[in-house]
Amino acid sequence: MHLTDEQLNEYLDEATNERAQIEAHLSSCDECAARLSTLQNVFAELDSLPEVALTRNLAAPFTPRPSLPAQLPKFLTLTVTLQAAVALTAIIIAAPFIAQLIPVLELSSLSSVFIQLQTQWASWLDTLSQFQMPTLPTIPFELSSIYLMSAVVGVFMLWLVGNGLLLRNQIK
Amino acid sequence: MNASSDRDLIVLARRGDAGAFGELVTRYQVNVFNVCYRILHERGEAEDLAQEVFIRAYNRIHTFDIEREFGPWIRRVAANLCLNHLESQKVTTEINDEQDADPAQLPEAVQEVRERSEQIHQAMSSLPAHYRVIIELRHYQELTYDEIAVELNIPLSDVKSHLFRARKILAEKLHAPDR
Ligand SMILES: [Zn+2]
Repeated sequence: MHLTDEQLNEYLDEATNERAQIEAHLSSCDECAARLSTLQNVFAELDSLPEVALTRNLAAPFTPRPSLPAQLPKFLTLTVTLQAAVALTAIIIAAPFIAQLIPVLELSSLSSVFIQLQTQWASWLDTLSQFQMPTLPTIPFELSSIYLMSAVVGVFMLWLVGNGLLLRNQIK
Repeated sequence: MNASSDRDLIVLARRGDAGAFGELVTRYQVNVFNVCYRILHERGEAEDLAQEVFIRAYNRIHTFDIEREFGPWIRRVAANLCLNHLESQKVTTEINDEQDADPAQLPEAVQEVRERSEQIHQAMSSLPAHYRVIIELRHYQELTYDEIAVELNIPLSDVKSHLFRARKILAEKLHAPDR
């Protein structure tokens, strides 16, 4: 019994577990040895095929746009600075109202400072709310100014946190 | 930056850094082009397909498993794309007279090598498309029978019968007394 084509192929592909039997047969059978060598020649021919050079650069469509990387960080830092300033302002505006809204916490020394600030801001807000009053005469103005400011502060904080997260991803 | 790993470049490419992907292309373009050339046997077509491979890979870079090696992956993608290309064409690009430099001007030794690889290319281009791809995956990308079966989504028995038949055809074409 001669070796099958499958056996010879699997032998050369090192995908057989009958290596020993195949080798034993090959050593005693010229015909199968010749068939193996023909097959080995094909392997050698395929191996001999040289690599061919490209005539164009396939990386060309993937070049970075040169102006963008230099501009982007500057733009980002400007945004960050602006947002920090706005956030700080928001916190200053918010502080007295937070102190007023949660007197239960009894931050005696701090809250006295806050209350001082609050009176200053409240007087400013009085003028501000008086400015808006004519359109909404039925709502008590002190309550409305608190709600207004809380809403403004809330939006500022959301804006800060949201943009902060976005920018952190980009910088990283 | 001068010796970023493939992995680093893929991470950058995923963040939209086209230049980083360009660096990967520079590393693998000859490799990928040769995969296409061995399957298609036509230089211009092989370059077009190789370009297509990289464009597709860039568009799908988010789906690439970062734990895998980029080189073997992109070469398998190339083999598959060429197979799809050939099958969609349905016209077997039979033996293109591919003579890009005129051989008379070359030294004799170079000419011989060139002629022999020409013969190998011609023999290979006479094979059906899926035989060529199996030869590519086994001989040049060194995939096992099982890996080829998975890659081409065909039964293991088909991988073997196609591969063995392809080699038989090549043996007949290449070792026939004067082709
Ligand atoms: Zn025998």
